[in-house]
This record gives sequence, structure tokens and C-alpha cells, in this order.
Amino acid sequence: MHKTGEQLVMLVVINCVLLAIGAAISGGAFLSLFNLQSMSTQVPEIGLLAIGVMLAMCAGNGGIDLSGIALANLSSVLSAVVLSSFLSSTDSETTFSLAFMVMTIGIGLTGGIINGLLISKLNITPILCTLGTQMAFMGLAVVVSGGKATTVGSPDLLSRIGNDMFLGVPISFLIFAVCAALIAAALKFTPYGLWLMLMGTNPKAAVYAGFPRTGIIVGTYAISGTLSGIAGMIIAARNVNVKFDYGSSYLLIAILIVVMAGVKPEGGYGRVVCVVMSAIALQLMSSLLNFGGLSNFVRDFAWGLLLLTFLAVGRYDVVGFLMPFKGQNNSSAPSPQAPKPNN
Amino acid sequence: MKAMSKRILIGGVAVAALLSGTVGTLMAQQKPVIATVVKISGIPWFDRMNTGVEAYQKANPDVVATQSGPATADAAQQLQIIQDLIAKGVNALAVVPMDPAVIEGTLKRAMDRGIVVVTHEADNQKNTQADVEAFDNSDYGAALNVRLAECMGNKGKWTTFVGSLGSRTHIQWVTAGEANAKKHPDMQLVDPNNESFDDANSTYEKAKEILRKHPDIKGFQTSAGNDVLGVGRAIDEAGLSGKVCLVGTGLPNPSADLLESGAITAIGFWDPQKAGMAMNAVARLLLEKKEVKDGTNLGVPGYEKVTVKKGAGDGLLIIGNGMVLADKATYKEHMF
Repeated sequence: MHKTGEQLVMLVVINCVLLAIGAAISGGAFLSLFNLQSMSTQVPEIGLLAIGVMLAMCAGNGGIDLSGIALANLSSVLSAVVLSSFLSSTDSETTFSLAFMVMTIGIGLTGGIINGLLISKLNITPILCTLGTQMAFMGLAVVVSGGKATTVGSPDLLSRIGNDMFLGVPISFLIFAVCAALIAAALKFTPYGLWLMLMGTNPKAAVYAGFPRTGIIVGTYAISGTLSGIAGMIIAARNVNVKFDYGSSYLLIAILIVVMAGVKPEGGYGRVVCVVMSAIALQLMSSLLNFGGLSNFVRDFAWGLLLLTFLAVGRYDVVGFLMPFKGQNNSSAPSPQAPKPNN
Repeated sequence: MKAMSKRILIGGVAVAALLSGTVGTLMAQQKPVIATVVKISGIPWFDRMNTGVEAYQKANPDVVATQSGPATADAAQQLQIIQDLIAKGVNALAVVPMDPAVIEGTLKRAMDRGIVVVTHEADNQKNTQADVEAFDNSDYGAALNVRLAECMGNKGKWTTFVGSLGSRTHIQWVTAGEANAKKHPDMQLVDPNNESFDDANSTYEKAKEILRKHPDIKGFQTSAGNDVLGVGRAIDEAGLSGKVCLVGTGLPNPSADLLESGAITAIGFWDPQKAGMAMNAVARLLLEKKEVKDGTNLGVPGYEKVTVKKGAGDGLLIIGNGMVLADKATYKEHMF
């Protein structure tokens, strides 16, 4: 508990500091409603992918999902190509939108299940398996689209998901928040969450304890794939056109977000709320640099610095070092070593 | 711990709120801001464009002209920069799209907010008020071929290279070249449209194959920026410099050695510096609600008398005459 709270506090503080710096250098424009909305429409794509990576990492045994963005692109490209062959996005707007949503999510789910089955049944190392499926998904997207951008168009319902606000909050961000909340709840309150974290902590013990290993792994990658499908849907809703190589930089950024959120790369621990905060922090930082007119190479540097800072926080009690009086409040807290699953 | 977290949390939020309150009043920038967004920053082509944006800024102190671009070649990253700039409240965007299709939605939102949008190298962009092209693609292809035919003495076998068969402009160039070559019945096109994928090494291998297959070949017309380097090296190593003609798109700096040795006859290009200035000039005219029409002078060399057509969407397609053909004698005037 001790450590997880610290990570979250650090992330919240960093977010606040970034907002403050942004306000200072932009003369307040950074905190304008329009910019806050603009930034929150940018978070969902990468945030959903990052949650997928986090789940895969929590499963332990070198779990990771490299196929996220490729699957997101495949789901939107394939849905666009198939649907527009017999439905017009301008004539039957609602039908097209609904069919598109169902299909992107369905393709995401299928892709995730394929990943899960390959990993659990054939015992392929996740990093190799998802690297392979990443290329397969991307290749398939190239083949069906002929390598060109595919037009989804902006049918009413779909374009509202990408562009409209609900009570001033972008709908895409709400979708992201709901997905995050559902997964957080699933990790905290269902046996699945407990199994996932315990299996990540000690896979061998989990097998001897009779955990449904295959089920957990397939389920985890299926959720990750579904999130990719939703990300693909949001990308399509926002950009009107979809292409196989969109977001090629997202793969590493998603992993960066997850590591920054304090998810253990060796498995068994991770909190959704930290991943969300960490995704927001990266977004704030990159928007901040764009506002400041700084080179995007500075951004890579800043992200690296941020990551190193978090690794340091994870290893050493930096917050305790900066606030020496904190220890007294803390004497009754349970030992940080206790392998207690937190969502 | 809990209490501590809360205290830090509240502190952070308070600081943020306070700062935003105090500096919020300091806002308001009087000068109009024209933001140029390029495909990728840190490569010679767009560094050269940056010099144009800087020059424009110097010549026009009453506007703020800046250039930015993603550190990685990813349309999604460029999209985010554009989005942040819209949120920042720039007055005009001058974009060189990585992928025109991907940013359509965002550019539309920018225009809906009253931001002037100008693009470059994207004559198929629908959501733009003006797309600035350095030259007419057919004229450029024909000009390359005229130079090639002249070097070949209007006769002999020749072939063409394109970056990829999906690359629209490259196909336009070689098609216009072929049309020009038809004027010379003794020019015989062999194995046309070799794909180079803009990779100097694979172009080199392919050019060697062609030289073996057609020992009497006289000319190459290439399209992608690295093609002249690959083909030029093959010609150079075969000892055919000066005997086989090579005209294609290329940049002066990398091509310098091969131009000197005679392996490359001439290179064609447009100067990104001038293109950057032209984009900013058009953005400014549109900001001032002035009309851009046939014959308008943008005040940039090569764009003194532009041709205006209807673009892919509702916007204009502005075509300059910014084509540059340079050979051994003249390339030193354009070192970049």
C-alpha cells in the first residue's frame, strides 16, 4: 500500500506541476477549456493501448503485448474496407456506425484471443508471439487496404464519438474512462483480478494451486485486444481516414506509460489508475512542449528523464527523502513486501 | 501516508490554480502567428525549409512565423502537433502533411475554428484553403526528359525509375517524360518504371542489372531523391560516366561528387526554403483576406507569377515555377 500510494501521489503531483508550467509559459491558454478538451481527445488512443500492455505485463512470465497498435489499425482498416463494400457511410449513417463499432471491437477481440491462445497453448514467449502477430496484423491491413489510406467517412454517430462533447468532456475520453474503470473494478473485485496478479507473482505456484492458467491468459490478451479494437474505432472516428501505419510510434510510448505507472515488468502488480495518470502526464508534457514551441526531440529527452525519475522513485524512497516527517504517519502501514494484489 | 498524499495533492492543485489565475490575464498576443508543421524535423530537407521560415520571419516582423515537426516519421505524431497548435490558438497553419488523408479531420476542425490552413506537397488534400506546389508535375517530368534527351542526342535506349508504383507524383513525372520522349522517334524506352523505394543501395543493384541487360543503354530518368545516387554509383563504377546520361530528382549536397565525376548529368529539385516562404506568404495573404489569383506575386523567387487552379476540395491549388535543374556547372549555387 505504502509504495502504490506513493506512485500515485507522484503522478498526480507531476500532472499538477505540468499544468502549472503550461499555464505559466502559455499565459493561461494551456488551461483553456478548448485545450483541455483537445488534450483529452488525444489521450484515449494511447491510453487504451497502455492498459492492454499493463494487463499483459501483470500476467507475468515476460508478458507484453506488442501487437496493440497494429491490431487497432487492422480493426479499423478491415472494418472500413469490408463495410464500405456494401454499406454507404453517407446513406445509412447509423447502421454504418453501429456496424463499424461492433466490427472493430470484434476484430480486436478476435486478435486478442489469437494472441492468448498462441501464448497459452503453444507456450510461445509473449514478446515473440505478439511481435509475430503484430507483423501479421499489419501485413493483413496492408493487403486489404492496398497500402493506401482507407476512408471511413464521418457518419453521424461515429463522428460524434470522435468529435463531440458530453457535458464538456470529449466522448472518446469518456469511453476511455469507462473502459479504465471497468477494468480497474474487474481487477479489484473479481476472482480474475486476484488470479491474474497471483499468477504474475508466481506462475508455478498458480498452476499448482489449480488456477485456470489458459483461461486467465486468453482472457487477459482478449481484453487487451478488445481495447485495441476500441482504440481503432476512436482513431477512425476522429481522423475520418485510417491507414495501416498510423501511430507507429505508439508501441514504445505505450510501454513507457506502463513502466512509468509503476507496473512491474516481471508481473504481479499494476494499477489502472496509475496507468491513466501516467498517460495523462505524457500527454500534458508533449502538449506543453508543443505550446512552448520546443523541438520534439526535447520531448523524447523529457520522457526519458521522467521515466528515469519514476524508476528512481520505485527503487528509493524519494518522497520520504524529500519529506522526512512523513514516516510517522506511516508506522502502521503494512510492509511493502507483502504480495498483496492491488488493482 | 493518506493524509500526506492528500496534502501534497491539494498543494499541487492549489499551485496550479493560482498560477493559471495570475498568468491568465497576461495572455493576448497581438501579432498573427503562422505555424509551419513539417513531416519530420531534423532532416536536411526540412532544415532547409526552416531557413525559409526564418527568412520570412525576418522579412515580416509583424507576424510570428515558426516551424515545428515530429521527431519520428509518424502521421499520428504530426497530427498531435497540429492539434496542440490549434488549441494554442495560432492564426494560420502551414502544413506539409506526412499523410494527407490522416489529417483531413483535424484540418477541417482547424478551419471551422477560423484558422487559415495552407498545405504543401498535397494536391489531393481536401480540407485546405490553399495547397502550394512548387511546380506543375507534368512540366517537371517533361523538363527532366528534355534535359535527358539533349544529353542523349535524342536517340538510344533509356529507362525510368520511380520510388514506388503507388507514388503519385513520381508516376506523373515519368509519364510526362515518356510523352516528351515520343517526340524523338529514335529514343527507345526499355524496362520502364523500376521501383527504387528511395533506397540508394537497391537502386544501385537494379541499375547494375539494367546496365548488364542493356549494354547499349544511353539514359536514365529517376524520381525519388536517392535514386540518382544509386544509379550514379552504378554508372561511375562501370566506367560509363559521361557516356550514359542520368537526369533525376536529387539534392545538390549529396549529389555533388557524382555531378563532379560526370556520372550524374543533371539533378532536378525544388528548394524547400522557397516553398516554406511561399506557404507563409500565402497564409499571410489569406489572413489579410486578400485574394490569390492567376499571376499573383508571392514575393518569393520562383513564385512571382503563380498559376491558380481549383484544388481537390473547396480550396485553391497554387502552382509556382520553383523548379530548379542543376548540373555540374550550376549546382554550387544551391548548396543544401
